[in-house]
Amino acid sequence: MNELAVELRHIVKKFPGVVANKDVSLKARRGEVHALVGENGAGKSTVMKVLYGMQRPDAGEILVDGQQVRFRTPAEAIAAGIGMVHQHFMLADNFTVLENVILGSEPTKHGRIDTAAARARILEMAAAYGLDIDPDAMVENLGVGERQRVEILKVLYRGAKILIFDEPTAVLVPQEVDELFAALQGLRAEGLSVIFISHKLDEVLRVADNVTVLRHGQTVAEVAADSVTAQDLAELMVGAELPTAPPRSTVPHERVVLSLQGITVGGQGTRDLLHDVSFEIRAGEVVGIAGVEGNGQHELIDAIIGLAPCQGTIVYNGTDISRFSVARRRDSGMGLIPEDRQREALLMGSALWENRMLGHQRSAPVARHGVLQLKAVKADAAVIMREYDVRAPGPETPAHALSGGNQQKFIVGREMSRQPSLLLASHPTRGVDVGAQAAIWEELRKARDAGMAILLISADLEELMAMSDVIKVMLRGRISGTFDPQRTTLEQLGVAMTVASA
Amino acid sequence: MKSRSMRWSAYGILGVLVFSLVRAITGSSDLTSVGTFNAALLLAIPIALAGLGGLFSERAGVVNIGLEGMMVMGTWAAGFWGYQRGPWMGIVMAVIFGTIAAAVHAVATISFGVDHVVSGVAINLIAPGIVRYLSVIVYQDSNIPGAGPTQSPSVQSIGSNGLPFLSGGHVLGWQSPDLLGSIGAKGWFFISDISRILRGLTGDVSYVTMLCLLLFPLSWYLLWRTKFGLRLRSAGEAPVAAESLGVNVYRVKYIGVLISGALAGLAGGFLAIVASSNYQEGQTGGRGFIGLAAMLFGNWRPGGLLMGSALFGFSDALQLRASDAVHSALLVIAIGFAVYAVAQWRQGRRVGGAVTLALGLGVFALFTYVKELPGPFVTMTPYVTTLVVLSLATQRLRMPAKDGVPYRKGGDS
Repeated sequence: MNELAVELRHIVKKFPGVVANKDVSLKARRGEVHALVGENGAGKSTVMKVLYGMQRPDAGEILVDGQQVRFRTPAEAIAAGIGMVHQHFMLADNFTVLENVILGSEPTKHGRIDTAAARARILEMAAAYGLDIDPDAMVENLGVGERQRVEILKVLYRGAKILIFDEPTAVLVPQEVDELFAALQGLRAEGLSVIFISHKLDEVLRVADNVTVLRHGQTVAEVAADSVTAQDLAELMVGAELPTAPPRSTVPHERVVLSLQGITVGGQGTRDLLHDVSFEIRAGEVVGIAGVEGNGQHELIDAIIGLAPCQGTIVYNGTDISRFSVARRRDSGMGLIPEDRQREALLMGSALWENRMLGHQRSAPVARHGVLQLKAVKADAAVIMREYDVRAPGPETPAHALSGGNQQKFIVGREMSRQPSLLLASHPTRGVDVGAQAAIWEELRKARDAGMAILLISADLEELMAMSDVIKVMLRGRISGTFDPQRTTLEQLGVAMTVASA
Repeated sequence: MKSRSMRWSAYGILGVLVFSLVRAITGSSDLTSVGTFNAALLLAIPIALAGLGGLFSERAGVVNIGLEGMMVMGTWAAGFWGYQRGPWMGIVMAVIFGTIAAAVHAVATISFGVDHVVSGVAINLIAPGIVRYLSVIVYQDSNIPGAGPTQSPSVQSIGSNGLPFLSGGHVLGWQSPDLLGSIGAKGWFFISDISRILRGLTGDVSYVTMLCLLLFPLSWYLLWRTKFGLRLRSAGEAPVAAESLGVNVYRVKYIGVLISGALAGLAGGFLAIVASSNYQEGQTGGRGFIGLAAMLFGNWRPGGLLMGSALFGFSDALQLRASDAVHSALLVIAIGFAVYAVAQWRQGRRVGGAVTLALGLGVFALFTYVKELPGPFVTMTPYVTTLVVLSLATQRLRMPAKDGVPYRKGGDS
């Protein structure tokens, strides 16, 4: 079982202006879960794209089963038994699950697609690996967790022997993570190789046999998972000692910033997406929302910011804003860090200074008397980049050229720039490296201490425990429990997230 | 499925009933005459073909506003080779010329990432210039009768046929009886009307028309039931995902655009050889754009765009044949509005129903008080009806997600 399935030797990949991979080497054996860790921007995604044939290396060698290979397209990589579960889902929203899974390797019968055979095969695989899915559902109607299952099925369907998982747990709750890890152990037992990219070092140590650490496009270490601690790995990744979270020294104010009274958002079918949700957030308080993806968190944010029509009353700084437009709500001082930064927070093809204006296009310093102040905006974008440590050449850089962590830091900086009295933060550190995560946490803490009210939604329970003053659990659109993070365990939260109390 | 097709048949019969009724009341026989429906078919085909061309291109993610120009190329090629080598060769060359124009569009948009609309508009501007230039070269100083810088000599026509026994088709030179035709001539209410309509659609139909009609179910099958179709549609929905699964997105897009041009060229060839008998400058008359509109309203589906084209073809035929029939058609429209208003009301859309009813009453008033429509209004009927009906057919339009978005291989999503 020690045979090498994949070996990368001294991979170099340059892009105009950036060297993504300076010197990356990696060895993954058969029947092994091999983790690849590193900060965002360290070159993990790039090297995996090279292995998967999406990009060609400028130098270096790839060996699969001891044979040197050169993939020009993903098709060739797939044929060689390599499959990739992407970090950003690569799915056609207007297609069914089945169409997405079979695309590119469609079973045919007399020239037409044999949907019956495909459906049977998908259901069989879904049952075997515990990936519950309806093959005929439209992908646009699926939640994040389900979409990931489609991605995994896509790879399994192609009979891959080497599976690359790019941040697979970022969107999953603990129970789903356990299921995924059980599936990974099954794959390993059958002699397949899994390359597992993650930021969550405790998960890496739980699931991986060996770990390769990247820093600034270079392999800095390959270690056995049972010989290191999470702290060791983090230091290898960052190259310095990590800051630890200090306990809170300030207390929330008495003044209520946001008060929700009986908020209900209707659904398509019989059940409400959000049902009779009431709670308050005080100045300087962080209210955390825990819950399995798709239990009303998204609707909650939409209702508060004004995107979803809802019943009930929303009182903000003493004013009933239930009937206010989104623009009026934002202008009265609500900041928003949306769930999906690439779809909801940024124009990926536009420069950072243009992104700086989004959501702030009516007020200073972006606009004065209805005219955009481009010079001021560019200068301000540069200030945000400096203060929030956004690593990019300059305000003219398009958003897509930044790594996820840097994009997120920029968004946080943008939302903080107006000093909102309420920040709605949905998964603010999802898919972000340890360094950026620490930076974002630090900014949120500073703002909180200065009196900002924060609604924090996260799938990362440890983040919620560390940041929140109070945690509320959402289940099927209702608040199913309220917890004090000081006196709660992760297991208690996990139960409240999945089991409806009578 | 069964109940659905039965429901559609019921709608069809109801529609014919309304037409017969209005025909009987107003006495304008052209409303259900054989000639009208025969002409409607002839007028609908080029639009539907252009629309189908647009469908192939846009499903692959390339906006093809250059359909009009590709059709122009088709009309000219059909005229030139049709005269030289016979009508079938004309059709073939029309397809090839359309494809050549599409190749330009494909290279510009897919390989060079030019904005799809810019490239399409360029083709629309250049194509008429090219064909004028070619006409001057080959026809100007020739002594061919009828040939000139703006038109080709006339082309022999392609044979036609109908359903044997029902519509007087001929089999191996034997002329079969014309059952529908003779019933149609009887003047029985409804029965004769429906016979005339069917006779118009199934009798004296050009072989080219038959081939063209076959292309629609064929395209549907190709796009929604085969591997190739799934891949083509994936290029329009999620090209990055498709590429990551080993689909050659560039190739699929090229094929989509080339098929698009071939169909637009065929539409042009049809105009020159079947709907007319030679190439004339300006023959396309914006039909490429109307085809594009039909595709849009048909929700990027062959069935939908065929219905849109049929509607346009029918109103066009009506206005060409008899202006009094257009006036009578107002009554049909008024009844149509009334029925639609009731349907809306019953679905609980009170406001929509009221608006539709008011529109219906307005059209009825027009029918009652204006005895003869002024000429320009008659001419614009097809455009107005198509617009009104299609925009009323409230459906959720869903264009391919990445339609018109330049795609770069290996780029970020």
